[in-house]
Amino acid sequence: MLLISRKNDYFPSYHLDMQRFLFGREFRAEELPFPDKVVKEHVKNGYVAVRPGIESLNDNIFDLLSGRKKWLCARCGNRDQEAFATCACSHCRKKCVYCRHCLTMGIVRSCTNLVTWIGPEPESWTCSTHNDVQLCTWDGRLSDDQNAAAAALDQALTARESFLIWAVTGAGKTEIMYQAIEHQLKKGKHVVLATPRTDVVRELLPRMRAAFPSVPISGLYAGSDDVRADAPLVLSTAHQLIRYSKCFDCVFIDEVDAFPFHFDPMLEFAVRKAAKPGAPFAYLSATPPAALRSAYLSGSLSGVKLSRRYHGHPLPVPRFHWIGGWLRAIQKGQLPVPLRVWLTEKMEQKRQVFVFVPSVTLSRDLTEILQREAFDRTVGVHAEDPHRHTKVADFRNGKINILVTTTILERGVTVPGVEVCVVGADDPVFDECALVQISGRVGRSAEYPAGDLVFFHNGKTLAMVRALGQIKQMNKEGAL
Amino acid sequence: MALCLFCNAERREPLTFRTLLSPETEAGFCPACRDGLKRINRRNNCLYCGRDLSLLDQETVRDRICRDCVWWRKSGRNGLYVKNYSVFSYNEFIKEIINQFKFRGDSILADGFACDLRKTFQRIKKEHGTRTAFRLLDKMDASFIIVPIPLSAARLAERGFNQAEVLAEKMGAPVTNALVRDKHEPKQSKKNRRERLMERVTPFRINADYASLIEGGKVLLIDDIYTTGATIRLAAEALAQANPIEIDSLTLIHG
Repeated sequence: MLLISRKNDYFPSYHLDMQRFLFGREFRAEELPFPDKVVKEHVKNGYVAVRPGIESLNDNIFDLLSGRKKWLCARCGNRDQEAFATCACSHCRKKCVYCRHCLTMGIVRSCTNLVTWIGPEPESWTCSTHNDVQLCTWDGRLSDDQNAAAAALDQALTARESFLIWAVTGAGKTEIMYQAIEHQLKKGKHVVLATPRTDVVRELLPRMRAAFPSVPISGLYAGSDDVRADAPLVLSTAHQLIRYSKCFDCVFIDEVDAFPFHFDPMLEFAVRKAAKPGAPFAYLSATPPAALRSAYLSGSLSGVKLSRRYHGHPLPVPRFHWIGGWLRAIQKGQLPVPLRVWLTEKMEQKRQVFVFVPSVTLSRDLTEILQREAFDRTVGVHAEDPHRHTKVADFRNGKINILVTTTILERGVTVPGVEVCVVGADDPVFDECALVQISGRVGRSAEYPAGDLVFFHNGKTLAMVRALGQIKQMNKEGAL
Repeated sequence: MALCLFCNAERREPLTFRTLLSPETEAGFCPACRDGLKRINRRNNCLYCGRDLSLLDQETVRDRICRDCVWWRKSGRNGLYVKNYSVFSYNEFIKEIINQFKFRGDSILADGFACDLRKTFQRIKKEHGTRTAFRLLDKMDASFIIVPIPLSAARLAERGFNQAEVLAEKMGAPVTNALVRDKHEPKQSKKNRRERLMERVTPFRINADYASLIEGGKVLLIDDIYTTGATIRLAAEALAQANPIEIDSLTLIHG
């Protein structure tokens, strides 16, 4: 006791603001809202660490001999030498290297310093007062499968082990997480739920807020405004985690296989950097990437497989329907007949329909054709669409009947009673994962457990056949 | 595989003898991005400020001179300043490129404009050479002293580089930093037209070391964008103290 008090007396104090601002995060030195002198003082006293933004990567003898320098961006982990450029820098009056990969977050030059907090942790939002109170007020019931998975997940994370939840679309992955999240929060841990897509964050945020009403939750995505620095539970896109460093005790990654994640190594780097060393990861996916799948099957990664939906009904199985040269037809402004017949039928039944198309231009063209063909209340969305979020909201409210979309809505979107068709399912954009995810949009609610699901194609592809196989396989396993 | 500097997609240059035979392609933009840039038609631009006249109300144009340039001539503030050359018109797409270049600091994007800037510079030299073509020796005099518009020290610290200087370096000729900007003032892009034109005191000062170099020479001022022409004229006013024979300007964009 004496020792501690002496320690406190001896060591110089630190700014609480700076601690709160910098803890678990890493900023460029020029981004700090504190005067240089104060920052330097903290560095001297060992509360704040500074490291260069661009590191030299010349590790082997050949690099040294060839004389070509290789670089590594310490913030985004970029190693692609093409994505580095030199500029004349006025700060250091020399040629500086900068990383083009994370330029949108503010430029990192070789003379830029990255600053992070290494002093004591700030007092976090503690649940000591809430210890006997249930944080999660979600009152739904979990199925037996879900319950078993939730318990296994909770146990693994408590033992600080990574865990994979391989669950079919619509198995209720989000609800499975609640128990584990609650336990982690009660222990005063920082928890992050990362996902590759903004839409998924936007979908999950209100659900999480409803489930944990007493917990401050921060939702981070491009353009979000509810950022709370000290929230113990953070929902974030992987991009936004780039500014974090050694912050979270427990990381949930939803939809590990979704588009930018396995495509852009920066995102995985960002998530790893945001976690504290040794923090357990929980991966959730309907179609885990090959590496995770083999790790799970070989037993090096513990996990659980859920092959039945929460309502117990089997997954809807896609129908293949040949429609000939869909691309030419749409470009010419014609609507392929089988598609028209199908849509008319659905409109008569007053169902809402997702129409998936392979590209943005096709989404625009097809929307135009449909609107002209008197399928009123048709709207198209794509990633760059500024009104995308309102359009999706309108679809949810039933103001829109047909939503023509690119693959951006392939996951995370739950609309009860929706039916789905894919136009041009043979396009290379639709790989096995994408098709399984798209199929998963149908029949998610217990009231409408089935629904029509058609792949309009011009020749079956391997991806289509495999997706069908995977769905049938899961149904078989689920039936046992 | 050459990548586009801006959209990072594969460039896919059309196969021509030149692309086939050249050892490597110069860094640049892909054809799709180049299509987004609006090049100024040299046969229909303002003879003084170089703007694309087809974008203006035709009634305001007389003898291929836009109304702004008429106003400038009447105002008597031109002094030694003669004319401006621009490569592109301002549009949403180039605005995005300039944002990334100037405000995010992606200075390598200037490489994408290098070829255009070099060609325009050659054209300016040729034009000036032919102007006095009857005296062959005058061709030698057609070489310009290239002076980029400077930033104030504070702005330079904030941005990390001077975009005009980076562009000037791409022109394949020596750059002379003959001007200094003493006053730190709000960004031009944050002011309206009236405020820009009302500014009469030049924020620029000539660097005494280069004054002798400029005396009797032709100066080509370089900037990223020409909007009202106020900045360029204020810079020309400061340069005029060193007695050059003529001052022109080259900007990447006419806004």
